[in-house]
Amino acid sequence: MADEYKSRVSDLHARRKKNLGMGGAQRIAKQHEKGKLTVRERIDLLFDKGTFVELGLLAEQQPIRGIEPAPDGSPADGVITGHGEIDGRQVWVIAYDFTVMAGSMGAVGEQFKAARVRELALRYRKPIVWLLDSAGARIQEATGSTFAGTGWLFYDQVVMSGVIPQVAAMLGPCAAGTAYIPGLADFVPMVKETSSMSLGGARLVKAATGEDVTDHDMGGSQVHCYESGVGDNEVDDDAACIASVRRFLSYLPSNNSEPPPRMPSDDPPDRLVDGLDKIVPSNPRAAYDVKRVIKSVFDEDSWFEVKPTWAKNIVIGFARAGGHPVGVVANQPMSKGGILDSDSADKAARFIRMCDAFNVPLVYLMDVPGFIVGSQVEKDGIIRHGAKMLYATSEATVPKITVIMRKAYGAGYYVMCGKGYGPDVVVAWPFAEISVMGPEGAVNIIFNKQIEASSNPEETRAQLLNTIRAQINPYLAAGWAMIDDVIDPAETRRVIIHGLEQARTKKVDRPWRKHGNIPV
Amino acid sequence: MEVKAELVGSVWKITSKPGDQVAEDDVLMILESMKMEIPVTAPKAGRVKEIRVKETDVVKEGQVLVVLE
Repeated sequence: MADEYKSRVSDLHARRKKNLGMGGAQRIAKQHEKGKLTVRERIDLLFDKGTFVELGLLAEQQPIRGIEPAPDGSPADGVITGHGEIDGRQVWVIAYDFTVMAGSMGAVGEQFKAARVRELALRYRKPIVWLLDSAGARIQEATGSTFAGTGWLFYDQVVMSGVIPQVAAMLGPCAAGTAYIPGLADFVPMVKETSSMSLGGARLVKAATGEDVTDHDMGGSQVHCYESGVGDNEVDDDAACIASVRRFLSYLPSNNSEPPPRMPSDDPPDRLVDGLDKIVPSNPRAAYDVKRVIKSVFDEDSWFEVKPTWAKNIVIGFARAGGHPVGVVANQPMSKGGILDSDSADKAARFIRMCDAFNVPLVYLMDVPGFIVGSQVEKDGIIRHGAKMLYATSEATVPKITVIMRKAYGAGYYVMCGKGYGPDVVVAWPFAEISVMGPEGAVNIIFNKQIEASSNPEETRAQLLNTIRAQINPYLAAGWAMIDDVIDPAETRRVIIHGLEQARTKKVDRPWRKHGNIPV
Repeated sequence: MEVKAELVGSVWKITSKPGDQVAEDDVLMILESMKMEIPVTAPKAGRVKEIRVKETDVVKEGQVLVVLE
């Protein structure tokens, strides 16, 4: 009996050992050659030391519709699942193992292992992280019309959206159906060169359309972090990618019923902000880098930018103010003059909704000459895209602080949380220009006849321009108490932190509805 | 290498001329659009081969402004 006991236990240990060995030494070496870490090395980096608990280690490909499993098995069926801790908080993981059948999603790995993680993460209201390095669906198991019974993963992701944070870390290929995992996730870092995503992989594209293209050229970070906006942050390697996942989650609560975690800061809440006069030029038409303003206002070293390389005319990201996480939305005069267009409106709208879903207060730093106008942008649907940002800012019921630094023109003033959009505090710097449009545009519309009738139209125009200009100053808005105050820029940090404190108990009741109808 | 207009606007000031050696991020010209001065910068270091617009010209998004070599 004792022998039987021992041999059964040692058999278990042997099975564990085999599956912990992933796809074997040769395939692991190949993975390393590509500059990639193995799935288990990645998990070690993701979680606090020693906290990973694996579920489904002993899973293997099973015989299915006459297809025999691979003779050497498929350790863990190519996907490692379980939970661990990030900064002491439970997080769930679904991590594809490229050394086992190219990380393909098999029936066992997908329908049982990954599905279980999605179910349990939602049950316990904890974030999910996908570490993606997968050839996509395991076609030999999936082809044919039993496809009819698949697809739950995206359905689950949609149900989880706004309830628990979802991160899709791109560490390798992610072709075909799996590309919707990042498509639905809240944060999508991409490793330069090695990661890619596309609805169809290169071979499928060739077969379907005849186009000759590589996975990298079609869906690498140079496409998705710069042109499409599907990727968030391009990172240099696997370690940097996983560090960005940990950093991202540090600003969010585990779920939508908790406040975001506070991180004590040595940066005094009442600190006056030095040096803004050296950042913001006195010429109101000249550009500057708004990120320098952000870094000087919020807690030291707390700035984490999201989507830094796409739609650069708006800057979004997380920071902390007095230790509390905030979502920052700032116009960027350095890029396209800070004008809002379709992509920048999309970028901001999605970020605002994520912050609102997860109870992260919003700080708007406004310097916006307006929405771009003209025939090309109308063809692009600027009204529909701009409306998203209008919608997101109106919909957000988290504390909202608005600082009008310089320009606040037209609908740009609205979407950047002007007075009408429920800010808890709205203040302006002394050089703020709040107006429906610039004086040059206004003078031609209001005084068109007067200018035409004048014996010296240019002089009349110049005089009228000055009349209009004189009315664009923050003291008119403050005099009407339409804004709460005009502040010395040096007071910006204090005003934001006090505003967040003021709004801590904010509760907004809206009429019942199933859901609104956001323009997309 | 062609340097294109990022958005519709007018050419306010041209700050480079053919033959100039420029470094990455050097300002080649300044457009004016939507009440803002929008610098057009060199994406890479090089020599200005050709300037295809003049001051006060109205330019379209994607229009070639400068050719670098």
